[in-house]
Amino acid sequence: MKKLLYYIIGIGCWMLVSCSTMPENARQETAQPDIYPDYIGVTVPVNIAPLNFGMADEKVQLVDAVVTDSHGNNLHSQGEESVDFDIDDWHALLDKNRGDSISVTVSAKYDDGWHTYKPFSIYVSPDSIDYGLCYRLIAPGYEVWSKMGIYERDLSSFDERALIENTQFEGCVNCHSFNRGNPADMSLHIRGPHGATLLRHNDGPVTAYNTKTDKTLGFCVYPYWHPSGRYIAYSTNSTSQLFHSAHRNRIEVFDTASDLQIYDVEKNELLLSPILKQDSIYETYPVFSADGRSIYFCAAKSIPEGSYKLDSIRYNLCRVDFNPETGSFGDSIETVFDAVAQGKSVSFPRPSYDGRFLCYTLSDYGQFSIWHHEADLYMLDLTTGENHAMTAANSEDTESFHNWSTNSRWLVLSSRRDDGLYTRPYFCHVDANGRIGKAFMLPQRNPRRFYRERFLSFNVPEFVIRPTHFDGNRASRIINDEYRKNFDVHK
Amino acid sequence: MNSARYLTSSLFGFAVVLFFGLAYPHHLHYQEQFQLFLFDSNYVCDIIKQPGGVADLLGRFCTQFFLFAWVGAVIIGLLLTAIQLLTSRFVGDSWLYGLSFVPSFLLWIFLLDEHALLGGVWAVMITLHAVCQIVRLPKGWQRYVAIVVVLPILYWMVGPSWTGSHYYRYPNVAPTLLYAAWLSAIVIPLLAYVCRKWIKPSKGYVVSLCSFVLVAGAMGSIVWKNANFKAEKVMQYDFMASHQLWNRIIETANAEKPNNQIGVTVQNLALAMRGQLTRHMFDYNQNGIAGLLPDVQSDATSPIPTAEAFYQLGMIYVAQRTVFEAQEAILDFQKSGRCYKRLAQTNLIIGSYEVARKYLMALQKTLFYREWANETLPLLEDEEAIARHPEYGRLRKSLYKESFLFSDHVTPEMLEDLYFSNTDNMLALEYLKAYYMLTNNREGYANLLLKLNKQ
Repeated sequence: MKKLLYYIIGIGCWMLVSCSTMPENARQETAQPDIYPDYIGVTVPVNIAPLNFGMADEKVQLVDAVVTDSHGNNLHSQGEESVDFDIDDWHALLDKNRGDSISVTVSAKYDDGWHTYKPFSIYVSPDSIDYGLCYRLIAPGYEVWSKMGIYERDLSSFDERALIENTQFEGCVNCHSFNRGNPADMSLHIRGPHGATLLRHNDGPVTAYNTKTDKTLGFCVYPYWHPSGRYIAYSTNSTSQLFHSAHRNRIEVFDTASDLQIYDVEKNELLLSPILKQDSIYETYPVFSADGRSIYFCAAKSIPEGSYKLDSIRYNLCRVDFNPETGSFGDSIETVFDAVAQGKSVSFPRPSYDGRFLCYTLSDYGQFSIWHHEADLYMLDLTTGENHAMTAANSEDTESFHNWSTNSRWLVLSSRRDDGLYTRPYFCHVDANGRIGKAFMLPQRNPRRFYRERFLSFNVPEFVIRPTHFDGNRASRIINDEYRKNFDVHK
Repeated sequence: MNSARYLTSSLFGFAVVLFFGLAYPHHLHYQEQFQLFLFDSNYVCDIIKQPGGVADLLGRFCTQFFLFAWVGAVIIGLLLTAIQLLTSRFVGDSWLYGLSFVPSFLLWIFLLDEHALLGGVWAVMITLHAVCQIVRLPKGWQRYVAIVVVLPILYWMVGPSWTGSHYYRYPNVAPTLLYAAWLSAIVIPLLAYVCRKWIKPSKGYVVSLCSFVLVAGAMGSIVWKNANFKAEKVMQYDFMASHQLWNRIIETANAEKPNNQIGVTVQNLALAMRGQLTRHMFDYNQNGIAGLLPDVQSDATSPIPTAEAFYQLGMIYVAQRTVFEAQEAILDFQKSGRCYKRLAQTNLIIGSYEVARKYLMALQKTLFYREWANETLPLLEDEEAIARHPEYGRLRKSLYKESFLFSDHVTPEMLEDLYFSNTDNMLALEYLKAYYMLTNNREGYANLLLKLNKQ
């Protein structure tokens, strides 16, 4: 019996060894490796999931990586398509190297044998990133949708969980929003025959609302929570779309009217202001400033009804005062950044939670920048007024929606840089002085396989500080129920 | 007596094969085009982790062979015959023998519906097979243990049938006929058991044969009456368009002129492809612009032939959007081999190579699209090879030179722009002339002729 046990252990050891071929007689390359995803020289949070990668080309037979630090620790992984670091070992290594760099030596086996490349560094920031990311997964389509839903992903592992999917009800789901990443306050829109806005306040029960009133344009969209949790800024938009006959942007999504409104969660009423619902102006994408005393938004001069000169619709970044004690608005609108003067258009303003920066998307025209390949991210320093492109985060393709981590040191951004169509989340570090690190892709266990086989875009990535504990089955019962609580309007 | 059983079962199976192979082949093609079976562990795991996943997976696996209608017909024939044979084990050789065909006939009627999925038939068969195995066990504790063990396994394999989620394309519609077949497979053996005292088994084969003839006659006529041959005709046009069988389309239209939107759209496309549209369009039924380039609807079926016309015209972005939306509209959230192929082609033509690669690499995991994907992959980023390609080269030349915005409705200006940006595109000219003729726009036609004369 003992002999048999030794025999089995021996076979097991042999199999383990035979699974891993150490790079031998490798040709030393002077260049750094061309890897996918590109993690060379990136700055990562200490609690990020393992940055597994493969070689960018697909002729490789084996890829091997050794990660070392200045303390003599190392981590090794080898695989056919991708390296796959042990999660616990990876986290232990990163934890020992807070504020320091780790070095990665990559070897790749091709038909002509092993090649070992010049090592590259990954800087481990002591700034941690939030628990997870919440996003919608949907095919990058036009008017019809197949299976889609809202999902949350643990950023320190590869675990992904559905909050709710449209298999649970008839319709689609969008515009998930949390109060500074805290899912205790949560907003979610349902579209279709069971349309509703689901709201959860202070971890209370989920309630389905009808946000359309007879004094406003339509349903509330593009939510943003006030830091106090008492208010939600919404826009209400009459949205249309037209298609390009032969243009890589494929589609134009545009508003023919839009206004802003603030919802008072405690009083269940909408706060309206005439200066935020002007017929001659399209107002959209409202967000509260870090102190909750301003509302930033995008505003464009409207075009005549029936006109389709969409490339003439350009949005400026604007601001209006807001008094959270009284729920009243200022009486003047300030143009914070005059993009129109530069022949550009602003979308998705997002102030950092420390009040220092405001990140926005700049495109040639319009406000639905996800379909604009020229769209890039820009950052405005709210203390100095300095405004510049986030070059390290941008690519030659679309960068669009983005959000700050709760410590304001990380930015998640939607990018189509991989293939020009499917949106994927990238992260970049922003230090206290506004220096921006190179963006890196959301890690996956086998990134190439994962992203190639997923025919879905990551839509509206939002950080969450903890699991949302959102009961999708209960929510779907609420959605399928006819009851909707109506939004009132403040008189 | 066994020979009578084999004879009747064989006759039944043969009839099923002949029916689906000869009278209903395009329903099978239709089924195949609304799924994409991948030989991929993630794909398989995603299906079988659901209750009913095994039946669903087996159904999908078999449906991929429906690309070849006769193979599909044989698969259905074998499945329905197997179900009949399993049911007949519980029914003796008596006047009740014919009833053993009832579940299979009901499933046959179920499969006449283009939204019925083969997973439902597999679910009935797996259940019957499990019951047969349990019944074979000796009475007593062994049988009870088997039931306790088999029930959860059956739940996993054939699933909560009451939701019908894997067995019918409309997730919210209960497939009544499938339930009836399921129920009959339980009731008929019970009936045979209850009636065994009164209905004595017959030794000869005449009684069994007669009961078979009675049931087959009655239920066969129900099958025939419930068959949707109009839909079959529409699907035939769609099938011929997808395989670009232009001459066959014209021959079919000559034999019986189509009078439905898809048929007319495909007929006009075939006429245009053969340069006969403007000369002969009024020899056939027309439906105005809705029969030429109809507005795209948000369903999975009707936009596909229109997308074929867009594609052949060189309106590649429009074709791509139309196919993409049609695929998204597939009711049970499946993907489509035909759509993936077309999306790969359109992305290749417009130079969106990474997206094309994504579709092609998925198609490499299929049984019947793999070869095409392997042949197409080397074309990516090979501009010269694409330019030389008889189809992609022509269509790339036909692309709009300047982009403009439009909604769902195709206008004559769009066709005019298409033709005058590449005057080799005679298809666009045919469609443009036809557009003016169908809308009785004499001024537009006259202006077009003036422009053509100035060339």
